[in-house]
Amino acid sequence: MPASYAHRHGLRALGAGIGLRRDFYEALPRTERALDWVEIIPENFLTLGGRTQRALDACRERWSVLPHGVGLNIGGPDALDEDYVSRLSALVRRVDAPFFSDHLCYSRLGGVHLHDLLPLPFTEAAVEHVVPRVREVMARVGRPFLLENPSYYAKMPGGTLAEADFLRHVVEQADCGLLLDVNNVYVNAMNHGYDARAFVDALPLERVVQIHLAGHEVRPDVLIDTHGASVCDEVWALYRYTIARTGAVSTLIEWDQDIPSLDAVLDEADRARGVLREELRR
Amino acid sequence: MTPELKHFFDSMGAYFEGVPEGVGLERLYAAHPGWQTPRTRTALYGGFVRGHVRGALEKLFPLSRHAVGEAAWDALVEEYTRTRPARHYEINRLGEAFPAHVADRVEALGLAPHVPALARFEWADFAVFASEEVAPEVVERLTANPTLTVLEHAFRICAHVRAGDARKVPDAGEELALLWRHPGQLATFYMEATPSALLVLKMAVEGLTAEHVAAATGMSEAQVRADVVRFARDGLVLLPPESK
Ligand SMILES: [Fe+2]
Repeated sequence: MPASYAHRHGLRALGAGIGLRRDFYEALPRTERALDWVEIIPENFLTLGGRTQRALDACRERWSVLPHGVGLNIGGPDALDEDYVSRLSALVRRVDAPFFSDHLCYSRLGGVHLHDLLPLPFTEAAVEHVVPRVREVMARVGRPFLLENPSYYAKMPGGTLAEADFLRHVVEQADCGLLLDVNNVYVNAMNHGYDARAFVDALPLERVVQIHLAGHEVRPDVLIDTHGASVCDEVWALYRYTIARTGAVSTLIEWDQDIPSLDAVLDEADRARGVLREELRR
Repeated sequence: MTPELKHFFDSMGAYFEGVPEGVGLERLYAAHPGWQTPRTRTALYGGFVRGHVRGALEKLFPLSRHAVGEAAWDALVEEYTRTRPARHYEINRLGEAFPAHVADRVEALGLAPHVPALARFEWADFAVFASEEVAPEVVERLTANPTLTVLEHAFRICAHVRAGDARKVPDAGEELALLWRHPGQLATFYMEATPSALLVLKMAVEGLTAEHVAAATGMSEAQVRADVVRFARDGLVLLPPESK
C-alpha cells in the first residue's frame, strides 16, 4: 500500500465522534460520557449566530471539531461560492480543524441551491471538472480535505466509469482524502445490486481518513439514506470488514432525522469505539 | 467543462426548476436518449429537492401555515419554490422572501389580511434568534440590544402569537412589535412596544440619563430607573456594570 493520506498529512485517528445537532446544543457540551470528537455541518455555523455559536464554542473547549459540509458544490457547474469558501476557511481555522470534508456531488445549479447531494455522472469529463475545483478548495482553505462517497438512487446518464473508479480517479488526481461512508456503500450496493465488500476492496483505502456510520430507511423497492435510524447489523459488519483493511480511522455516528436521545447516539459511538479498539489490539 | 457535462447540468437544472413533476421528468429523459435508470429512482430527487423547500418553510412559518389552511399553503409553497428559488447555502435563508410572497398572494388566494404580517413576524423571530450580531459582554453606557428588530403592522400580532392559536384571527389595531434576542438565554423575546419600552430605548439611543428623563417627563427618577432595570433584565437594553 502507498503511504497513507493520513500519514502524509500527520492526521491521527481520533476515535469515535458524533454530530453536533440542534437537539444537542445544550446537552452535548455537558455530557460526562466518553466522546472523542465532534462533527459539525459548517452551513449551520457560517452565518447563524446565538445558540449555534455558543454550542460550538462549548464543544471546541472539550473536543476536536471537524467541519463536514453539504454546500460546497464541488461537482457543480457554478463557480465556487466566494463567500462560502472564505467563511468555511475562517471556520476551519477558528476550530483549528485538522481536516475538513464535503461530498463528491453537486448541490447548486444556475445559482440555485438545491440543498441536496446530487449524483454526478460517472464519467472522465466529470472527473476532469471536479479535480481542479478540489485543488482550488484545498489551496484556499490550506488544510487536508476529504471527499465523501455519496449515496445515490439513480445512475446518471452517460456514465462510463465504475463508481469505485470514479471515486478513485477524483481523489487520486486531486490528491485529497476519502471520507468513506459505510452506510452509503451498503445502501448503494443494495440499490444498484453490487457486492459491498468488493466495492470497498476496489477503493483507494490508503486515502480513507474518516468513516461515517448511519441508519437508512427500508422502502419496498429502495433503501433511502436518511440518517434517521440506528446503524443496522449489516453495516456494522461492513464497518468491521473495512476497518480490518484501513486500520482504525476516525469514525462518526451520523444522525440527521428523527434524532433519538443523546445517550442513544453515544451508545452507538461506544460501539464504534469498541470496534476501533479491537482493531488496534489485533 | 465538456459540452456533454454542460448538457447534463442544463437538463437537471430544467428538471429542478419546478415544472410539474411528470412533464419535467419526461423532458429530462427525452434529453438523454437511451438512459436506462428507472424513472421512479430519478424522480426521488425531484421529490427531495421540493421537500427541502417545503420542510424549511414549514419549520419557519408554522403559524402562517395553520392560518391559511392546507390548500392555500400548498399553493404558496409551490409558487414560491418555482418563482423564488434558494439563493443561499444556509437553508433557512430560503424563507427570507416568503413574507413578501405571501403579501403578493393575499387577494389571489383569498388569505386573511393579517397573514402577511404574521409571516413577517415569524421570519423576524427566526432572523433575530439566528442573528450574527453579538451583544457585547460589557457596555460602557445603556445600549439597545443589537439584535433589536421593529415591525409595524395593523394587527395585534404579539398577543396573537402569545395566545398560540393560529386558527383565531388577531384583533385589528396598529402595533409596533419589538423582537430581540436575550443576551443570556439566546432566545427571541418580543413585545408590543409600550411607552415605557420606547422611552428606555430612546434613553439608550440618545444617551439620556434617568435624571434628564425625569426632569423632561415629570416621572420620578426612581420610576425611570426601575423601567431601565426591568427592560435590561429582559435583554431589550444592555446595562453598564456599575448600573446592574
Ligand atoms: Fe455521510
